[in-house]
Amino acid sequence: MPSTQRPPLGGRSIDPVAARLPMDDALVERVDVAGLRARLEGIHAQGYTMLLDLGAVDYPERTPRFDVVYHFLQLPAAAAGAERIGRPTRLRLLCGVAVHDARVPTAVDLWKSADWAEREVFDLFGIVFEGHPDLRRIQMPHDWEGYPLRKDYPVRGPARERSPRPAFALKSNVVAGTPPSGRTLEAMTAVRREADPEPIA
Amino acid sequence: MSFSKIPLTPEIVSQDGNSMVLSMGPQHPSTHGVLQLMLEIDGETVVTCDPEIGYLHTGIEKTAENLFWSQAQTVIERMDYLAPESNALCYVLAVEKLLGVEAQIPERAQAIRVLLAELTRIASHCVWLGTHGIDVGAISVFFYCFDLRENILDLQEAAGGARMHPNYMRVGGVSGDLPTGFLDKLDALIAKLPGRMRELRGLLQANPIFQDRTIGIGTLTPQEALQWGVTGPALRACGVAYDVRKAFPYCGYDRLEFDLPTRTEGDAYARFLVRLDEMEESLRILCQVRKLLDVPGAVMTNDTKIAAPPKETIALSMEALIHHFKIVSEGFRVPPGDVYAAVEGPRGELGYYVVSDGGNKPYRVRTRPPSLYNLQALKGLAPGNLIADVVVMIGSLDPVFGEVDR
Repeated sequence: MPSTQRPPLGGRSIDPVAARLPMDDALVERVDVAGLRARLEGIHAQGYTMLLDLGAVDYPERTPRFDVVYHFLQLPAAAAGAERIGRPTRLRLLCGVAVHDARVPTAVDLWKSADWAEREVFDLFGIVFEGHPDLRRIQMPHDWEGYPLRKDYPVRGPARERSPRPAFALKSNVVAGTPPSGRTLEAMTAVRREADPEPIA
Repeated sequence: MSFSKIPLTPEIVSQDGNSMVLSMGPQHPSTHGVLQLMLEIDGETVVTCDPEIGYLHTGIEKTAENLFWSQAQTVIERMDYLAPESNALCYVLAVEKLLGVEAQIPERAQAIRVLLAELTRIASHCVWLGTHGIDVGAISVFFYCFDLRENILDLQEAAGGARMHPNYMRVGGVSGDLPTGFLDKLDALIAKLPGRMRELRGLLQANPIFQDRTIGIGTLTPQEALQWGVTGPALRACGVAYDVRKAFPYCGYDRLEFDLPTRTEGDAYARFLVRLDEMEESLRILCQVRKLLDVPGAVMTNDTKIAAPPKETIALSMEALIHHFKIVSEGFRVPPGDVYAAVEGPRGELGYYVVSDGGNKPYRVRTRPPSLYNLQALKGLAPGNLIADVVVMIGSLDPVFGEVDR
């Protein structure tokens, strides 16, 4: 028996967040980049003591292209005992970020937990957090090119897009002068050119 | 004293006067896998600590975007490989919320989910206790812990078919009812657990060497813990009684009786005690859930949009066969929207922010990995302490790198 709550399924949505049904998972707020810093300070002052998570989503067909997504947690003041904790509040803050000016203010000075989370969003989406004390790649190697979680980034990595298996034996695909990991884009395309002289589109 | 005569090695990155930069890991046994710590040390005292992660980055979030909703669960289980059932549970809760079918999940399926989530918590704490013991030189604890864990993995295998990544949870319920004989094995385990837990406690709790290594080490104040986003046993060990099972109940946890063990000291020993107490609370939950499992019933929603027809009907009905084929080859679609769902995993608040664009694959699966945030606190904890204490701190924060790096 299909659920009556479910909306009809049309085509694919380019802005799924706008199509969201009311759900009780968190309070939801949307803010633009210009007002983000002020809102973050406001949320901090409101007693949201924990920045639960900070992530991003890429909507290539939408303007602005990215959403930076914050989840905050507010614990009731007397959080000393299990029976007194009451029901905390969760807040989701979404901030649209344009691809040509992918910069947002940092939240590290308000919540330390934003440190690695912001580095990760920078690493995987290429969104710059202005004022972050140590903004560098965290998951990918430091010399990696491209932002893997963007929708236009190929699933299997940049150099593997053309053919699933190279024509030569896998063991010999490291050329002299490449780092041991052989993971840089130049290194991988160099190997590919050598094996397959046809120009890469 | 000067280090000028010590040659540079792969471990000793640089030296300048009285301080040197030491690279600890990623192969160091105390780093539980693939953590690298760049420690600036003065003698044996850590001046700054900069953890390097990402050695186990496998792009699970990206992979999940390219699989069907049901297939994505298989990679998601591999994030926290010590608690696969918690990961899967959190993900299916998020998807069910997007589908709007939370109310249709049968009672028995909920009970089975809670059962496995709690078993997985005990098993995960067993791994933590065993490896934490090894970190501080108590080798024998490891064997007792892994023996107990093996019993739990046997149950997991009986239910889902695999020890580590059973993929037993399903959107809409669980993949099948518990097999014949499962409940007898469960009863045997429940009977065995209290004695085993007493033994585990007895091995370390009053051990003066263990106490010496952990009391007052890696102390977090509640304010610091909240600032760093620390959750789970590490947060409860500093006196903040936040547990997703109580704060945002799911799967019927609000109908079960259990307490939240808390401590106020906030040190490695307090985290140890909280986890031990938590295992006992999990046992309490297991006993209550065991009673619910006597009642037979469905384990999967009868919503045909997401549930494949029962296997028995496929040989008898053409429609069922077609339906089964469609569900397997095309998956199901999820209405557009975004949702955040969280469960209390063994390491803390495990959350998934899932976005659907209306298609048959998740548009985005953002994980809130508790290990990442807990481990981050090490940056604040380590400076000013001895290298040997940093080992204890890592152990007591219990990071799992499949989840930190994803």
